[in-house]
Amino acid sequence: MTITHNYYIYPFTAIVGQEAMKRALILNVINPLLGGVLIRGEKGTAKSTAVRALADLLPLRDAVAGCIFSCDPDDESAYCESCTQLAADGTINRVPTKMQVVNLPVSATEDRVVGTLDIEYAIKKGEKRFEPGILAQANRNILYVDEVNLLDDHVVDVLLDAAAMGVNTIEREGISFAHPARFVMVGTMNPEEGDLRPQLIDRFGLVVDVTGEDDPVKRVEVIRRRLAFEDNPEAFAAGFTTEQQALADKIGRAKAILKDVTYSDDILVVAADIAIRLGVDGHRADITMVKTALTQAALEGRRQVIKEDMLAAARLTLPHRMRRRPFEEGSVDLEDVAEIIGGGNL
Amino acid sequence: MGHYSFPFVAVIGQERVKKALILNAVNPRIGGVLISGEKGTAKSTLVRGLADVLDGMEVVDLPLNITEDRLIGSIDIETAIAEGRKYFEPGLLQKADGNILYIDEVNLLSEHIANCLLETVASGVNIVEREGISHRHTTSFILVGTMNPEEGLMRPQLVDRFGLFTEVHGEQDCRNRTEIIRCRLEYERSPGAYRQQWQEASRALAERIGRARDLLPKVQVSEAVLSLAVAVARQAGCAGHRAEIIIIETARAIAAFDVRLEITEDDIREAAGYALPHRMREPVQACGNNVEEEPEKPADTREKGTNPGADSSGSAPQNIHDRDISEITGSHDADYPDSGQLERESLEEPSGIFDAQIADLRFNDVRRPRGSGKRARVKASSQQGRYIKYRFPKGKVTDLAFDATLRAAAPFQKVRSEPGLALVIRPPDIREKVKEKHTGCVVLFVVDASGSMGARRRMGAVKGAILSLLGDIYRKRDRVGLIAFRKDSATTLLGITRSIELAHKCLKELPTGGRTPLAAGLAKAYELLKIAKVKEPDMLPYLVLVSDGKTNVALNGGDAVKDAIGVAEKIRCEGINCMVLDTEEGYIRLGLVRNIAEALNANCVKMDDIRANRITSNVKQLVA
Repeated sequence: MTITHNYYIYPFTAIVGQEAMKRALILNVINPLLGGVLIRGEKGTAKSTAVRALADLLPLRDAVAGCIFSCDPDDESAYCESCTQLAADGTINRVPTKMQVVNLPVSATEDRVVGTLDIEYAIKKGEKRFEPGILAQANRNILYVDEVNLLDDHVVDVLLDAAAMGVNTIEREGISFAHPARFVMVGTMNPEEGDLRPQLIDRFGLVVDVTGEDDPVKRVEVIRRRLAFEDNPEAFAAGFTTEQQALADKIGRAKAILKDVTYSDDILVVAADIAIRLGVDGHRADITMVKTALTQAALEGRRQVIKEDMLAAARLTLPHRMRRRPFEEGSVDLEDVAEIIGGGNL
Repeated sequence: MGHYSFPFVAVIGQERVKKALILNAVNPRIGGVLISGEKGTAKSTLVRGLADVLDGMEVVDLPLNITEDRLIGSIDIETAIAEGRKYFEPGLLQKADGNILYIDEVNLLSEHIANCLLETVASGVNIVEREGISHRHTTSFILVGTMNPEEGLMRPQLVDRFGLFTEVHGEQDCRNRTEIIRCRLEYERSPGAYRQQWQEASRALAERIGRARDLLPKVQVSEAVLSLAVAVARQAGCAGHRAEIIIIETARAIAAFDVRLEITEDDIREAAGYALPHRMREPVQACGNNVEEEPEKPADTREKGTNPGADSSGSAPQNIHDRDISEITGSHDADYPDSGQLERESLEEPSGIFDAQIADLRFNDVRRPRGSGKRARVKASSQQGRYIKYRFPKGKVTDLAFDATLRAAAPFQKVRSEPGLALVIRPPDIREKVKEKHTGCVVLFVVDASGSMGARRRMGAVKGAILSLLGDIYRKRDRVGLIAFRKDSATTLLGITRSIELAHKCLKELPTGGRTPLAAGLAKAYELLKIAKVKEPDMLPYLVLVSDGKTNVALNGGDAVKDAIGVAEKIRCEGINCMVLDTEEGYIRLGLVRNIAEALNANCVKMDDIRANRITSNVKQLVA
């Protein structure tokens, strides 16, 4: 892996603690269909550092040269309009690119998110052209939404729609256009500042709660590493080359075997049973739980899902889906879930 | 874009939704279907998959953030600039002609877009008179909407436009659920191959639908069937004739789909199950004692074109199982213009349109606070929210609607020229954006926690009321807060929030006892609401004071009563709607709180027996 930088990114493997968050992020890059991560917690818990560091760690992947949506040359079903045209002409060129972290700031306006009429082009040429927005950039990348609970409702609606469909449809400001928008959505929020609508929470495949490190020894280590990094990022990063490479390889292997991971019928039965007992809305909870367990098995280099994978998956996929209605505390908690999994014939 | 969707025929369960969609495909005169249900129940999957089993029909998406010009169509700017001639560029209403128009989360659709849509669906004609374009075209499409009722209510007029209605729930059978997971995993592993597997079944269904379509004109509608349909609709208390017509059309489709030429009683019954749920008249229980039950008016809504929802108060389907009628009748209807006003709206109405139509005549609540009774859940302003349409600027332009400006300027480009530019814009071309934003109200409780009056019980009731309000008003995007006052000062127990979790956390037992600093409580409330107003100018503030009015602590050591009345008057001047719950008990009553209520210009409601649900219903009436 050769990466050339003008600046240095804090190495992912140098982040102290926050295992649940790191695991959730890794699972999502292995399997982008998991549906993203919502990270709940206070400020200063290495959330955005981790996201950026992880993207940096990933190997290059191919994209169609010149495509603003970085279309995957190997996935014709998800080509954008111009790539479909290129494919018909037989002129698809590949170019290796890095996975990007695209930021969606709280102040983002809707036209910048979905894209809009290209004003400059219209004035100069007298023709209409689509000016891509953040969702266009986000295709095949990570969309990082900081403080997602503070976003305007109507921007959230748009995000939901695109996230669900994998397509961004624009019918506004004289523009009629659709483009692929498949992204790993990583949202952060501080629960003290307000709720996220249940519908949006449900769209996040995994949710992790992070807190600052309590262990004084680890806290010291956090500071020590940060200072060392700021002092000399190059040298600091160099000290983690082996770990970084090991993790990158592990992710690469997991990706490769993900399709081969098998599961017993009992796994599915247990997932369905848990979902029914928890009284979750819809089917997303159990489907996501099984998908996460498959990905977890792949990460561990196994081709068979085991009990422990289901437990790990339950921890990441269920807590935010447990309470069905406001004020009705879920009558089943994670311990019960563990019991159901433990009792299953896995 | 070759976008794969999960095959319609491979969806497990949800038979009613599938049937409703198929029936519409067989007989487009049914008028579409509204699918309501919790998240993650294959609602969208089914609609998008429908295209697979329809020959020559496509599913046209109507995104929530659509602007007016793209919906109804507008001037084709490129030809206008190049040739100086005005051509019509069709919008989605034309594209949808003969197809399925699909609105995901239809209950979140903006007010104005819904109005435009209603007009066209009702008349079958899209009339465009804007931007120098005069054009009309007929259009008919199958309107399909999905919604999650937790996310918001829907206006009755729009609900009524959907021919059929079905609810979806998650599968509760473990075996089916297991199967659902298996299918989904299989599909995601290889969408292309999975679709291949189901191709045969898809084709079979498409052919069956095709045959049913051919058969449809031959299906007989007997007198007996007609009378049965009428009887069923009457029994359900549906206003107008639309219900029975849709029952008949649906029954015809059912018969044709089963390859029969006769409609049976069962067909009618099945059809009624789809056509009636969202049209059933609520058994009008009173909301309080202020509503007189209206006699049923058999208004012929069909001939008037658009007037379906005006009488059927609260026909929003999500409320059918909702025992609380007051919410529907009180606020839901009042928020929306009746359809008579809809008809009169032109496409270029002034921006204040959303503020002007709160003619809440039928529910004239005598206990309603005087003062500013004007309220709207949707505000049109040019500052925040979703861009919906444009207007001619008044004064300084702050938010240029470039697309509209461009369209206005386009036809003149032949005669204007500026080197290096294809487009020359002059001041008269300038248009600005009209944005729509949902505003909620903020209900701030100011509660007396002094020792004089068994405050513990009272606080319990108030907390109960706040929590129940929070659960209830979530979908309306309302918020609540709580201030308690005792001893020498007032404390904000719960900042203005809609977070249920936060409310749970903050509403712990409040120590009670001590003297009564009423003025401080009101002053704190005033401050809080003022700050909230600065952050969000469109917000509608409400204040609920719970006290016996026996104030005995002044703000700065002066006269306690005078101070309280002074602050109360300031609050009134801000135009904040207030309500006072008088908690005085016993035989001898001083009625002190009445003076405060007067200064607040508020209604004073006696609370002899404090109960959370009583407070809740009173507050609901205040904000309704």
